[in-house]
Amino acid sequence: MNPPVQGLLEIGGAVRIFRTPEGSIVTALDEVDLAVRANEFLTLLGPSGCGKTTLLRAIAGFEDLDRGDIRLDGISLAGVPAYRRPFNTVFQSYALFPHLDVADNVGYGLDVKKLARRQRDARVTDALALVGLEGYGRRKPKQLSGGQQQRVALARALVNRPRLLLLDEPLSALDRNLRQAMQIELKNLQHEVGISFLVVTHDQEEALVMSDRIAVMNGGRIQQVGTPGEIYDTPANRFVAGFIGVSNVYAGTIDRRDGPHCIVRTDGGIDLWARSAAIAAGARLDVMIRPEQLQVVVERTALQGPSLEGTVERLVFVGADLQVHARLADGSPVKALVRHRRTPLAGLEPGSAVRLGYDPEVVHLMAQQP
Amino acid sequence: MTTLAGSRRLRLTALLTPVSLLLGTCFLVPLGIMAVYSFLTPGLYGGVEWSFYPYNYGRVLGAPLGDVEDFDPVYVEILLRSLRLAGIVVALSLVISYPAAFWVARFRGQRKSFVLFLVTLPFFASLIIRVYAWMLILRPTGFLNLVLESAGVIDAPLQIIFTEVSVVAGLVYILLPFMFLPIYASVEKLDPALVQASQDLGATPWQTFRRVVLPLTLPGVIGGSLIVFIPAFGNFVVPALLGGAKVMLVGNIIEQQFLAARNWPFGAALAMLILGTVLVLMLIYVLRIGRGGVAAGAQA
Repeated sequence: MNPPVQGLLEIGGAVRIFRTPEGSIVTALDEVDLAVRANEFLTLLGPSGCGKTTLLRAIAGFEDLDRGDIRLDGISLAGVPAYRRPFNTVFQSYALFPHLDVADNVGYGLDVKKLARRQRDARVTDALALVGLEGYGRRKPKQLSGGQQQRVALARALVNRPRLLLLDEPLSALDRNLRQAMQIELKNLQHEVGISFLVVTHDQEEALVMSDRIAVMNGGRIQQVGTPGEIYDTPANRFVAGFIGVSNVYAGTIDRRDGPHCIVRTDGGIDLWARSAAIAAGARLDVMIRPEQLQVVVERTALQGPSLEGTVERLVFVGADLQVHARLADGSPVKALVRHRRTPLAGLEPGSAVRLGYDPEVVHLMAQQP
Repeated sequence: MTTLAGSRRLRLTALLTPVSLLLGTCFLVPLGIMAVYSFLTPGLYGGVEWSFYPYNYGRVLGAPLGDVEDFDPVYVEILLRSLRLAGIVVALSLVISYPAAFWVARFRGQRKSFVLFLVTLPFFASLIIRVYAWMLILRPTGFLNLVLESAGVIDAPLQIIFTEVSVVAGLVYILLPFMFLPIYASVEKLDPALVQASQDLGATPWQTFRRVVLPLTLPGVIGGSLIVFIPAFGNFVVPALLGGAKVMLVGNIIEQQFLAARNWPFGAALAMLILGTVLVLMLIYVLRIGRGGVAAGAQA
């Protein structure tokens, strides 16, 4: 009996090992399991060299797996060449054909399938309209700006109505403003066409803005799959917590339980209150709290609930917010955020003592990585 | 604005004048002399007499002194043979160089540099010596026949030297780098991502070749074909040494007319006809393949 189909595309136990020219062995994919659902925007997020691009290339058919399987609608794609897979890719370099004009670039996939001329032209026109490039059909790719070239690459892929659109660092070649505009536009486009997008990126902000779900990768393994909110609020481990957003993470041990809460003693000897999951005292774990969840007050101000004591090291102005870099009693660093402040609180200056209040409900406990 | 453009033009003129003078004196003037000589009367003991004489061209085309009764198309035959052999040489070096260029382009670093060095290595030795080496290889008691005989493949030595085969082999050998290098340059420039993009868009390997790889490497193919065809058409060293008296090409005839027969006007007329033929063929080739190839690539 087949397992229930939970996704459009399923990757099971994917392993890919490379031998570098120097002779060392790199495990690019290490037992990767991932399912892409129908009509979703899924992002593969990770630092460079984490295997995300290898995974994308394996799905596209440019890379073979050493072990494991990729299934579309439950049917294995092993041995199916790239040109027979119903996926299309937007390449990082766009890879537009320099000898063809924009319309012939977009129509390429339809031409090789020998679609009737009239149908082909209509679909090319629609695809160009979809990405806002009406009337650019007769231009050569070289005559377009980077952003326009990217739209052509998108149109060229989408015109084939793929089951899944693969995008390899699609926004990395654009400047910052254009990139931010395109993040929203890509997401809108995905909703409009109803095709699943699988995007590879190393930019966590991009992933948070665009994605329905994010798969965080590191060292050839999937670390966590979840919605942007889940990934941000309840990261699975220290790596995910550090890679997405700013976080304070401390290794510690459950010291004791107190009603609905438990107290974690960090390795530096500092106690943190957290909402207790069913974890036995003595268990090793990592504890995380985000900077914006720490309430900064100058010392001796009365606070309800638990707090941390620290010494301010420096104040960093980051636009709307003020970042407070401080050290706890044991010397471990802590970052806190004061929202909407252009000027520091009275008495908050490097060297001064601060109190950082927090709600135990938002302190997040994570299993330690091996 | 005008002064700026003016000074720019002045500088360009100053920079380009020496080159123009050099090309003019060393290239156009001799060509002009040839063109004039081809219409002069051959002198009795060599040299020219300065009177108009249109029959040099008549003789080339097989009707000396404008008399069709003496029609003897020996020179036209040699011209056609030269064209045919040059065409074969281009085709063979293309067939060898095109796949080889892809093969070499896949190498990395030192290995690639080494292979490219090997391609240019023959230029370090004299052309004549290299063609003589081919004589040693191809003659009846030569290396090739020796090996084939001792291997038992043949009983008697093959007559390869002084045939068209040996002339073509020699020409392909000396001209191969001129085909390989321009093709290699365009293959090297071909972005592998474009090949992947083509496959990604559903093109079979053959469609990818027809629509992406071939059109994008065509400039190298055209360039290589031209610079192989022209010397192959006019070469006289290789046919003289490897073709003997049996495979005579236009280059040999011209050489004979200038050196042995001392009929400079006739030699000049032959040379002008070759020049004209090459120019016309080049024009047709560049226009047909250059434009048609890309268009066909987009249509197939």
